[in-house]
Amino acid sequence: MGATPRPSRLDGSAGGKAVAETAFDIWLSRSLHQMFDRYKDEDIPAEWLRLIEEDRTRRRGG
Amino acid sequence: MHDEFHDQLIALLPKLRIQALALTRNRAAAEDLVQDAVANALAAQDSFTPGTNFAAWMHRILRNRFISTLRKQRETTDIDDVPMASFAVSGAHEDRMVLKELSRALGRLPTDQREALFMVVLQGLSYEEVAGATGCAVGTAKSRVFRARRQLQAWLLGEDRPMASAARTAPERPQGKRAHEANGLGDPRATV
Repeated sequence: MGATPRPSRLDGSAGGKAVAETAFDIWLSRSLHQMFDRYKDEDIPAEWLRLIEEDRTRRRGG
Repeated sequence: MHDEFHDQLIALLPKLRIQALALTRNRAAAEDLVQDAVANALAAQDSFTPGTNFAAWMHRILRNRFISTLRKQRETTDIDDVPMASFAVSGAHEDRMVLKELSRALGRLPTDQREALFMVVLQGLSYEEVAGATGCAVGTAKSRVFRARRQLQAWLLGEDRPMASAARTAPERPQGKRAHEANGLGDPRATV
């Protein structure tokens, strides 16, 4: 991920509010992904998979 | 059919982990929450109707489990910030400081707003799916995301009275559960 520039203030021009809010939303989205996406890429704990696979096996056998 | 259920559950685990972080703001608590939700989902899988929205069903279970746990722990535990050290953030000092400010601001948001924001921004869920997962109206889901964005903008940019304009623009309609809404947790109805 690239740098995370500070979100800009409204520019005060006519119609500037809507444009600035959109820019903030884009910045927010990018920053949230930067902060949290790594968790999606981490290995799934073995205990979670064991729970699921044991249940799958039990239901197949039942 | 059961194989499909289990495959869907495994595929959803990374997103459940993110949603658990949104709710708990604490990594260890998030891991416990997902594991408990997985156990609940497996026990309740016969109540899931194939062909319906599995992600929404699973998010409801995660959410209800969180509410249940929170009730038990309310007197002893406050919600922590996710430690900044746990963020794999590279870049300049200024970048890290901005993200740290954002992290603090996220922690100040009402839980229902943070939850809805994460569902939309990080998981790509539609407002309809957020509404289905959190037991609120679509308009309420939209309002929560809107308010979260505007509140964060106000805090991070130092603007005053953000919610006054937010309320004018996107009023949140009460769903008859205001007492619980005051906790920022929405509808407490259990699904499992």
